[in-house]
Amino acid sequence: MSALRRYFRPEQVRELVLVVLIVALALFFGTQIQDYYTGRTFLRISTSIAIIATVAVGETLVVLTRNLDISVGSMVGFTAYFVGTQLMRHNDIAPLVAVLMAIGIGAAMGLLNGISVAYGKVPSILVTLGTLAIYRTILVEYSGAKTVVANLLPQWVLDLSSMNVFSIGELDFRLLVGLALAVVVLFQLILTYLPYGRHLYAIGSNPDAARVAGFLSQRIVLVAFVLCGALCGLAGFMFLARFSNITVVAAQGMEMEVLAAVVVGGVSIFGGSGTMIGALLGAAMIGLIDQSLIRWLVISEFWRRALLGLLILLAVEGDAVIINRLRSLWVRSELQMAPKQESQ
Amino acid sequence: MARSATSPAGGRNLLLGAWERLKSWEGLLLGVLVVIVIINSLQAPAYLSIRNQMNLLQLFIEKLIVALIMTFLIINGEIDLSVCSVMGLAACTFARLYELRVPIEAALLIGLAVGIACGLFNGFWIAYVGLPSLIVTLAGMIGYRGLAYVLLEGRSVGYYPEWLNRLGQQPFIGPFPLVVVIFFVLLVGAIIVLQYSAFGRYVYVIGNSREVARYSGVKVRRVKMALFIVSGLVSALAGLLYAARLGAVRGSTAEGFELDIITMVLMGGVSMYGGIGSLYGVLLSMLVILNIRNGMSLVNLTGHVQTGVIGVLLILSVLVPNLARNIQAILNRRRMSHLAGTLPEAQELP
Amino acid sequence: MLMNAEKPPVMHMRHISKSFGATQALDDVSLSIYPGEVHALIGENGAGKSTLIKVMTGIHQPDQGEILLDGRPIQIRNSAAAQDHGIAAIYQEPMVFPDLNVAENIFISHRDRGAIVRWGRMYEDAATILAKLDVKLDVRMPARGLTLAAQQAVEIAKAISLKVRVLVMDEPTSSLSAHEVAQLFKLISTLRNQGVAILFIGHRLEEVLEIADRVTILRDGKWISSALRSQVTTEQVIQDMVGRQIEDFFAKSQAERGDLLMSVRGLSKENVFSDINFDAYRGEVLCFAGLIGARCTDVGLALFGVEPADAGHITFAGKEVKIRSPEQALDLGIAYATEDRRQFGLAIPMSVATNITLPTLRRYLTALGLVRQGDEYAMAEEYRQRLSIRAPSVKVEVGRLSGGNQQKVMLSKWLNANPKLLILDEPTRGIDVPTKVEVHHMINALAAQGLGIILISSDLPEVLAMGDRVLVMREGRQMGLFDRKAATQEKIMTAAMGHNRPAMEAQP
Repeated sequence: MSALRRYFRPEQVRELVLVVLIVALALFFGTQIQDYYTGRTFLRISTSIAIIATVAVGETLVVLTRNLDISVGSMVGFTAYFVGTQLMRHNDIAPLVAVLMAIGIGAAMGLLNGISVAYGKVPSILVTLGTLAIYRTILVEYSGAKTVVANLLPQWVLDLSSMNVFSIGELDFRLLVGLALAVVVLFQLILTYLPYGRHLYAIGSNPDAARVAGFLSQRIVLVAFVLCGALCGLAGFMFLARFSNITVVAAQGMEMEVLAAVVVGGVSIFGGSGTMIGALLGAAMIGLIDQSLIRWLVISEFWRRALLGLLILLAVEGDAVIINRLRSLWVRSELQMAPKQESQ
Repeated sequence: MARSATSPAGGRNLLLGAWERLKSWEGLLLGVLVVIVIINSLQAPAYLSIRNQMNLLQLFIEKLIVALIMTFLIINGEIDLSVCSVMGLAACTFARLYELRVPIEAALLIGLAVGIACGLFNGFWIAYVGLPSLIVTLAGMIGYRGLAYVLLEGRSVGYYPEWLNRLGQQPFIGPFPLVVVIFFVLLVGAIIVLQYSAFGRYVYVIGNSREVARYSGVKVRRVKMALFIVSGLVSALAGLLYAARLGAVRGSTAEGFELDIITMVLMGGVSMYGGIGSLYGVLLSMLVILNIRNGMSLVNLTGHVQTGVIGVLLILSVLVPNLARNIQAILNRRRMSHLAGTLPEAQELP
Repeated sequence: MLMNAEKPPVMHMRHISKSFGATQALDDVSLSIYPGEVHALIGENGAGKSTLIKVMTGIHQPDQGEILLDGRPIQIRNSAAAQDHGIAAIYQEPMVFPDLNVAENIFISHRDRGAIVRWGRMYEDAATILAKLDVKLDVRMPARGLTLAAQQAVEIAKAISLKVRVLVMDEPTSSLSAHEVAQLFKLISTLRNQGVAILFIGHRLEEVLEIADRVTILRDGKWISSALRSQVTTEQVIQDMVGRQIEDFFAKSQAERGDLLMSVRGLSKENVFSDINFDAYRGEVLCFAGLIGARCTDVGLALFGVEPADAGHITFAGKEVKIRSPEQALDLGIAYATEDRRQFGLAIPMSVATNITLPTLRRYLTALGLVRQGDEYAMAEEYRQRLSIRAPSVKVEVGRLSGGNQQKVMLSKWLNANPKLLILDEPTRGIDVPTKVEVHHMINALAAQGLGIILISSDLPEVLAMGDRVLVMREGRQMGLFDRKAATQEKIMTAAMGHNRPAMEAQP
């Protein structure tokens, strides 16, 4: 029992609960929606999750440091549009170059966010509230309100969304999904095994102690924002591949879904704790609910938004109450078992 | 202002710098306002006419109304990100009830009640459970907006009775439509409460230091709860007024207004850390933003560009004072390098 | 333990002086720190101990003097530099990362453990260090769940891992239970045997003397003595700590003890203080005396409702009351002037008048709730005259005033509340002598007018001069209650240090 307690902290219990919930939801929807367990549904859901998960990874990096980035939707939309336009005009751009372009632009936008927060000392909510508007404006102006049109894009872009990494029977694992999973795995490894990742946790956990310990908090936070921007760039590219037709309102409101995914996935909004696996599970839950509601004719799709909001409310306020209770219970039991030193 | 004869030789208070900054900040705002108005007048000859100014005011009147209560909140050291979602929710509630043939007066009242309910909900978690207002109202912002969408789904509900539409447009007192009159009444009321009443004093002190307020017998939790309830109510009122003026409501009504509202307050010299700022500065900053937006329209800059510019203003309005403070601190430190300023009981690192 | 005398000192502080404005915190202080030795630094509050530590750890730069490490002079410009020199400090509040586990907390600030975090190795190394210290902790446990004592152990392990040579421990035992203190001392012994030099600051005298190999005493910023523990007696130490003349620059008039104002029986707050019993009378100054950690302030906060007590009975003006909030206390007629005026006592950017009327704003309102500024200013002006507050006007920001005048503003604030019982927490701390005298005269006058006064102070001469009766506390327990005639410095100090059994030499 004590070994169990040692390895299953309240946060990990939560991840298990999420998995159970996701499975339960999938089963439930299966009973309500016709033709639910088809390859097609899996495709739709998995590709939707892929994009949210990629952004959620970036958002997690920022949230771990006790900051927030609500400009992600604008960053994704802008890169999708920009890269799409470039590809439309110059069909001969190599795929790798296109991806790097997307990442680079995203990183630049993230850099602007990061500098204002880390060095300008402006609260991240205000900076990203501002850049949410600024980046969207730049997108609108740059686009001249035109749309990126599918049939002007090079073929490989359009093919991307139907390429598979592998297939299991009817279930196709698209390249995009594989890419997202790779991102999640990569960054989970970074968080677990790279000193930079651990410093993220330290800064969010106790900023004062971090200062006293001599961490270069500003640089660490700056890099987190840049990485978030870069991941939004990548997601923008994935967005382009998935939707092909990009308008100026692309990805508007995505920050809500991403925040919901992150918060539901157990990343503490106070910073200092959370994992990419959790973020992925959160994204999976959000994506699942989202895509299933569209197909469930009993409930209008507008409940999507309300449910998102409800989930966030539950996650944030429920956490404050439940996890704290769980934690004190868990802590109390640990203290009883901690072996004492011999007294003098 | 003459310095006290016995003030400590080196002990300059950083917040003292902030006060002086504030005074010149308002002067700066006034200067900027004058310049912008002049530029705009050169573009459009009838710029300063009553009719034009009134139109200008009306376009943003709901944001101005909400900015009033936002000022209280930020001075108190809190923030309410859910205000626009409450606006939308109240408007959608009203519209839905109207659709269901509920008498319009009742629908309006219920819309207001919804705002109060949201305020109570926010206030409970913030004032009594102690969660940070940023997070609670961020969650509320998303949640209340979601509920608004559920109510109206994809529809747009309009065709309100004539008199409702008239509220927003026809002159009510002199050249001012009812909406504008309401704003001025609220403005005067807000100034009286914030700058001249006991409650306003408590708002400032709590924002400056929650502990000092508590140790002085101020009922901190009650003040905060009251502020959030009023925020919900005022947002609902603004939402209903907006609905009346537009003549139609949809799920996305009032989406994105928080940018302008927060920028108006922060650019008005209100400090994010609380305790500093005044409605006079916010009033000036409201005028500056209105005229900047109008100026941009005159040169045919789209709404999107205008929004982007406001975004830049928001970031600058916090960035610039921060930089100024840093520069001042560096200058002070150089000046004080011999005196090592503070007395032993002042705050120091552990 | 005498073997250490042969080793050269690892660190040598020579003629260190440091002043802050008008206050001389350290005046030509010298001491040597030897490896493998626990060196206790003893002194009252304000003796200069904290300042000395801050100089050692790079937080302050000395005005004069030098620091030698292994015989070579060094500059310690900031805390990172101190760490590089092998000097680390552990304070009362441990700085751990709650979300990281124990092993990670130990190694998080290391820069030389490679590009990849090897968890297996980290757990092993952490376990090794803890084993060397004889501490049994699960290295995988998150730091959030640890007790304060365990967190301290983690911090010590962290210092060890950074190859600390001089470990400064500033009041590490004040929040620990007796059992935890024993554990900590075992840890310290282990460290000492490994050659670490430990500078230990504590106020529980018998504890300190138990663990110390060498003892240095400071008083009023000056070095008084340094000697091996084996060569001093407890009495000598107490004598050196307090031995100064009571400057009789204030004459306390005889108390005309009036009616019983408040009666406190069995007041307790879990883990903070227990079983406090006393009566407070009109016209009397009751002093609460104690050292750091005595928890006198906590009793004051409980009486004022900021941090209410868990148990006990309070009778005020004849009625039994449960004081749960400052508003309630004010309504009853109790006022509390905090010891930390910048953090809790005054709204720094607001005017003198605003500060004075804050708790009593109700009195200056019109029917509609607006503030009658004219009346407010008039009232503030009265207090300015009455207490001789030096400020250009009552509209000036209180932050611009000197410490002494700020204190007077705070006093005015509470006097304006017309309290029956006024609790003053360290009212003369950090202010200049002339103002101290003024404040004392004021307290006398107030008592003569029939106010009941509770004066919390760690300044012995003040306590002896002002107190009609003295209640001594230590670690949240009541150690003695002395009448004015019976109280002497030594007796109070002895009780405050816990050297005796609780002594009751006066009626409660």
